[in-house]
Amino acid sequence: MRLLFPFPRPGRLARLAVVAGLLVALPGCVSVAAYQKVYLNDEDMKLATKRVETYETNFESYREGAGGANGGKVGGGCGCN
Amino acid sequence: MKNSALLLSLSLGLLVPLKSLAQGGNTQNRVDGYGAPATPAATRGAAGETELNILMSYYQQDGSHGAVEGGRGTEHLTNLTPTIILNVPLDTLSRLSANLGMDVYASASTDRIDQVLSSPSSSDTRFHADFGYTRQLPGRRSIVGLGAGVSTEYDYKSVNVAASWAQTSRDGNRELSVAGQVFFDQATIIRPVELRTNGRKEDGSAPRQSYNLSAVLSQVLTQRLQVSVSTELVYQKGLLSTPFHRVYFQGSTGALGEAKVEALPGSRFKYPVGLRLSYYASDLVLLRGYYRFYNDDFGIRAHTLELETPVKITPFFVVYPFYRYHTQTQARYFAPYLQHQPGEQFYTSDYDLSGFSANKLGLGLRYSPVYGIGRFKTPFGGRIAQFKALDLRYAHYRRSTDLTADIFSADFSFILP
Repeated sequence: MRLLFPFPRPGRLARLAVVAGLLVALPGCVSVAAYQKVYLNDEDMKLATKRVETYETNFESYREGAGGANGGKVGGGCGCN
Repeated sequence: MKNSALLLSLSLGLLVPLKSLAQGGNTQNRVDGYGAPATPAATRGAAGETELNILMSYYQQDGSHGAVEGGRGTEHLTNLTPTIILNVPLDTLSRLSANLGMDVYASASTDRIDQVLSSPSSSDTRFHADFGYTRQLPGRRSIVGLGAGVSTEYDYKSVNVAASWAQTSRDGNRELSVAGQVFFDQATIIRPVELRTNGRKEDGSAPRQSYNLSAVLSQVLTQRLQVSVSTELVYQKGLLSTPFHRVYFQGSTGALGEAKVEALPGSRFKYPVGLRLSYYASDLVLLRGYYRFYNDDFGIRAHTLELETPVKITPFFVVYPFYRYHTQTQARYFAPYLQHQPGEQFYTSDYDLSGFSANKLGLGLRYSPVYGIGRFKTPFGGRIAQFKALDLRYAHYRRSTDLTADIFSADFSFILP
């Protein structure tokens, strides 16, 4: 069971974030046409880390015990210095 | 279990109403170590242009809890990372990418492996190369990718293969991308000088494998708002400890020769979940947010929150201050210098696995005029290339365990003829 759903006792902050995401998503059943995406197509609206930011996510993955789910490095390289 | 069920139901609740979805564009920009870019935007349009990015960063850290000396001693480290990324369209549907670079680092900590300062272990260069191929399937809204890469440094070799798949909804408002990657690593065993049994610096090698599977679902919610939910399951096995990290136990005096080599389990399972949001608040200001909940079977649980507010000084010049907060619990195998019990099976004094909080604050600038910053003749055939955009970024990082770091990064974008 633990393997099927490996999220034991998520913290209050985690639950709050999911609830907040749900509240944001609920009114989202509106289709946005291509010609209405002038804001969404802006470079700063991309749902990803910037290319220039990736070095930071890499060093954070080494200097912190946590990593992943952010476009950063998850393997390949010692990083043991 | 009750909390888990709650989280599951809320997560499903988040996904179900996402039927109106919009432009995904959730490209994972892994500069290093990722062979298959999931969905490069250029593959969606016409044949596109050949893009060249020259990146570099300078990183410097300092602290007083070096793992090489058992959780005390310097952590001073500098790292310079020039990188070249090339994206070449083959036709209207497919694209090749290459990512070449190096890490030139100097570490005062690893210089203490043999207690001879300025020894060869004090600096090294790591080279890496990754190649990817992506193709949009004709008549469908799917993009598939394959990739492979290698990296090598003095005591560590790594080979990786990757595959990805992305599917966009009919109206372009939703995208699901899935990617898998496997790393096959080989680490040379180098123990601290006083703990070597055969008198030689190197004592064979040991393997490490990392398997990761990531999934990202992105959704346009309004004309100004889009979100994504992501997860990345990582399973590692093999040598997960570092053979030149010392650990000193209770009852010892801390003298050389009384340490043991760090010992960690032979496998590790990580399961982070991330939520990302972009909101065009006004014509001048945007909001970007990211939250991640992380858990693993080493006992580390972490929360990470990032906020960024790009401000458009002009349509082409953007200033973006950003802030990041991270907090984590310590791994169950961690204890500080002289705090481990002699009978323990696994032990480390590496403060990267300790409990701490960290703050990062910084500022970025991007200048990207519509017609580029400048044009110049290339050395080959005298054709005209365009200097398209410039992105500069500085960040200061401070950890509650006394470690501080500064990093400066730059991205120069070019369009080649």
